[in-house]
Amino acid sequence: MTLSDSERERYSRHLLLPEIGAAGQEKLKRARVLVVGAGGLGSPASLYLAAAGIGTLGIVDHDRVDLSNLQRQLLFATADVGESKARIAQARLRALNPDITVIAHELELRGGNALEVLRPYDLVLDGSDRLATRYLVNDACVLLGKPLVSAAIHRFEGQAMSYVPGRGPCYRCLFPESAEGLVPNCAEAGVLGVLPGVLGALQATEAIKLVLGLGEALIGRLLTYDALAMQWREFRFARREDCAVCGTQPTILGLTDATGESGQAPDRAARLKPQQLRRLLESPGQAGEAVAIVDVREPREFSVGHLPGAVNIPLASLSERLVEIPPHSSVVFVCRSGNRSQAARELAARAGRTELADLEGGLLAWAAMVDPAMTVAPFK
Amino acid sequence: MITVRVPSPLRSYTAGAAQVSASGRTVAELLGDLERNHPGMRFRMIDEQERIRPHIRIFINQREVHALNEDLRSSDEVHLICALSGG
Repeated sequence: MTLSDSERERYSRHLLLPEIGAAGQEKLKRARVLVVGAGGLGSPASLYLAAAGIGTLGIVDHDRVDLSNLQRQLLFATADVGESKARIAQARLRALNPDITVIAHELELRGGNALEVLRPYDLVLDGSDRLATRYLVNDACVLLGKPLVSAAIHRFEGQAMSYVPGRGPCYRCLFPESAEGLVPNCAEAGVLGVLPGVLGALQATEAIKLVLGLGEALIGRLLTYDALAMQWREFRFARREDCAVCGTQPTILGLTDATGESGQAPDRAARLKPQQLRRLLESPGQAGEAVAIVDVREPREFSVGHLPGAVNIPLASLSERLVEIPPHSSVVFVCRSGNRSQAARELAARAGRTELADLEGGLLAWAAMVDPAMTVAPFK
Repeated sequence: MITVRVPSPLRSYTAGAAQVSASGRTVAELLGDLERNHPGMRFRMIDEQERIRPHIRIFINQREVHALNEDLRSSDEVHLICALSGG
């Protein structure tokens, strides 16, 4: 893939850098980079990537341009209000650099389509505005083995990190679970317009470095930026052995539409108190709806004492044995103290199961509040 | 006193302050002191099972805190980091 004369002129300042040169510029031309979200971060990131000559640039956004976007989203002009962001971005980036291919993905990224959308690309930039999408993009990148450059902003503050398969931790190693609702987005909390410019340009820098294999990437390093204090800080973090997606025994093995929300905080209503579980077992509902009690403790603990009718599927083997639970029944997971059952419920939800609950406080709480005759085996 | 850096999503508890002082020989004691002076703040970071919430990370200087009983020195700077969602 050689460069034309006009490309040599366009990229002349890159070609002057010995670290890039013609060979590096050709690498950039061969690269396929996907930008998730044509917003505050996606605007500067995609403009710089297009200008830098990334040969194939994909833009994912299902939204339309709003007047309130223009304070920071430099891809769009006032005349674009009401138009598709992905389409306008495509036209703007093509106008900037007609030598590259720009693909508009006018869709909402979901569990059901994320792998398909990401698969053709070499590298992904996350500039989305929802935590659930951040987890989805991270999980898809881990599953597909794609590098990810992630950034996020809030008011006057930003943070960024990179994930490179096999070389360090992923986003979920840093923040294992989402807290949608606890973390306000820009629309709720406001944001300094220029802030995503700083972080989005940083993402483009990381992407170009990763494509070229240059310098030190933000692997295992969370970079934070405080625009008011004008301070950058760096925090080191390690890969988690128990990470749900990149750990040694991952529980996220695929993505479905149900897992599009995999980052959602656990629903409190899905945790049953011992008295609620007792009532449920005494009157299992209309039309004989089945309630399956799944005890996720080890067989040794189960054999000491368990709820009547409970089946034993230890947490460690739950992902392979989910099929053993009848598909149309409500499921209540139980364990000793409520930690393993909560993990089991979240694992089943990610696998697409619905009608899930677990026993808050576990069988210890059950023994204390409902059935003092219940013997609960110690954990070890 | 230990300097505590507060991320913007938690500044509603510190009257907007990006930095507060708190005392404690361990992370747990520091969080207790923060809670006394900024009621409600601790529960945003620590759950009912005394675990650091999964969207919050605590760093002593640049080192990640894994357990609340980790020791603190008065020269330490504690950084509270919150997952941000904006794009």
